[in-house]
Amino acid sequence: MSTPMLIEGKGLTKSFGGLAAVRGVDFHLSEGQIVGLIGPNGAGKTTLFNLVSGVFHSDTGILLYKGMNITRLKPFEICRLGVARTFQIVRPFLKMSCLENTLVGIIGRNNKNGGREERREEAQKLLKFIGLGKSGQTLASHLTLIEKKRLEMARALATRPKLLLLDEVLAGLNPSEIIQALELIEVIRTQLKVTIFWIEHVMGAIMKASDRIIVLDQGEKIKEGIPEEVVSDPRVIDAYLGESDA
Amino acid sequence: MNTKKYAIPLIFVILALFPPFFLSQYWLHVMIISLFYAMMASSWNLIAGYTGQISFAHAAFSGVGAYASGMLAVNLGVAPWLGVLIGTGVAAFLGIGLGYLCIRMGGIYLSLTTLGFSEILRIVITNEDKWTRGTMGLQVPGFFTVYSKTSYYYLFLGVTVLFLILIHRIIHSEMGLTFRAVLNDELAASSSGINTIRVRVLAFTLSSAMAGLAGGLYGHYLMLITPDIPSLGQMFLVLAMAVIGGMGSFAGPVIGAFALEILSEYIRIYGEYHVLLFGLIALAMARFAPEGVMGILHKGWRSKLIDVRG
Repeated sequence: MSTPMLIEGKGLTKSFGGLAAVRGVDFHLSEGQIVGLIGPNGAGKTTLFNLVSGVFHSDTGILLYKGMNITRLKPFEICRLGVARTFQIVRPFLKMSCLENTLVGIIGRNNKNGGREERREEAQKLLKFIGLGKSGQTLASHLTLIEKKRLEMARALATRPKLLLLDEVLAGLNPSEIIQALELIEVIRTQLKVTIFWIEHVMGAIMKASDRIIVLDQGEKIKEGIPEEVVSDPRVIDAYLGESDA
Repeated sequence: MNTKKYAIPLIFVILALFPPFFLSQYWLHVMIISLFYAMMASSWNLIAGYTGQISFAHAAFSGVGAYASGMLAVNLGVAPWLGVLIGTGVAAFLGIGLGYLCIRMGGIYLSLTTLGFSEILRIVITNEDKWTRGTMGLQVPGFFTVYSKTSYYYLFLGVTVLFLILIHRIIHSEMGLTFRAVLNDELAASSSGINTIRVRVLAFTLSSAMAGLAGGLYGHYLMLITPDIPSLGQMFLVLAMAVIGGMGSFAGPVIGAFALEILSEYIRIYGEYHVLLFGLIALAMARFAPEGVMGILHKGWRSKLIDVRG
């Protein structure tokens, strides 16, 4: 590894009432990478994201961000360090306008720079970038699902993340929308220099976009590698087909 | 744009200057009490309507303000003006304390804890004899050397307008935006870098301080401070005003305060049954117009003026 490590988890375990949702998972992302996180339903993917973003704290294991221990930090502290996320089931602020939604991300930053007007302009620019330029005054509850997903992305980007956690942003999109979304994510990676950790069920897309894939099954990491390796691995195929080698 | 925005509130304030010239002393009293409730309901709306924390300690904090100022006046001869300010500070201080203690719980637990705090405070005040004079109440001096309802009316009007300006500025500030974000979705707000605990304690403290100030003014107007001020009966009245007027709207609590206070004067002859009527109105509103009077008005406007916004 020549590139510096951005985030690293070692032996992360999280149990809910005796059931280990995530068990002894190691992972790491270097700056500029796109890493895909896949696995069948209930594999612990979203739980792992919740650990990384501080929504839950792991029972054992350690989480390092730029070498700093962030295992016990709260969500807003982790966000301010530079880790932003979207949610599998979208959670925009429904009773607020798109502009206000985006502003919240800017206000949450340690470094707000400029006055109120400049922050509004920045939010408007972000909305335009994400493709919601004309919806600034629209209430988030009036948006379509796809637009809500875009809005969440704008809010996440407003926090100026170094690492972006995307939780099934492609679900429910049609093929042409998927192509648009992939282009957008590529721009986020190259132009905004954001590292991306990405849960996805749309296999074709995630295989194409990712530098590396991590596969979870029943809370454990069963495979990690480049997309070509992963798809041909018999354990991964078993996990997806629901067969057991026991 | 700006002149238009300020025109309507300004007209209301100017109109509000006239009542002392034609109202009887009795109705002037009703107006003063309505203004007190407008302060209470609006400041309660700041936490309940904008950050979603249903606190039952709002009347208790008004009692804290009233008793703090009253006891200073009676025992140390502190002037009511200064006493009320100190009372506001004491309410704010207790607000931070209670806020930090129970806001992490959130939801129903916050409501229960504030309910408990409110009752404990009332019981202590009722049973204490030396300082609070128990149910006999604390006789305190007024603000003015010459008693005049007109002076009190303008004092209450002035402070209510100040409250409303302050609340309006808070709601439309970036701080207010974080309040609403926390109300909309606490997890999403937290994941967007908002320190949700701090936001909620801040809202709670601001609101408690405002209740303390309103309570202090009220006490020195009545010149008798009794355990009725920090009672749950008072709390539910304020709650009903905010809910009926429209929680989470700016003008709603003010409308609710005047409507219920004036209504209660007309149905006073039915004694305790007027509380029953308030309950029924609140229930009917919750069922048919959950956003209160303001919700109904808004719907009316929206259908007529659909293109005017922006």
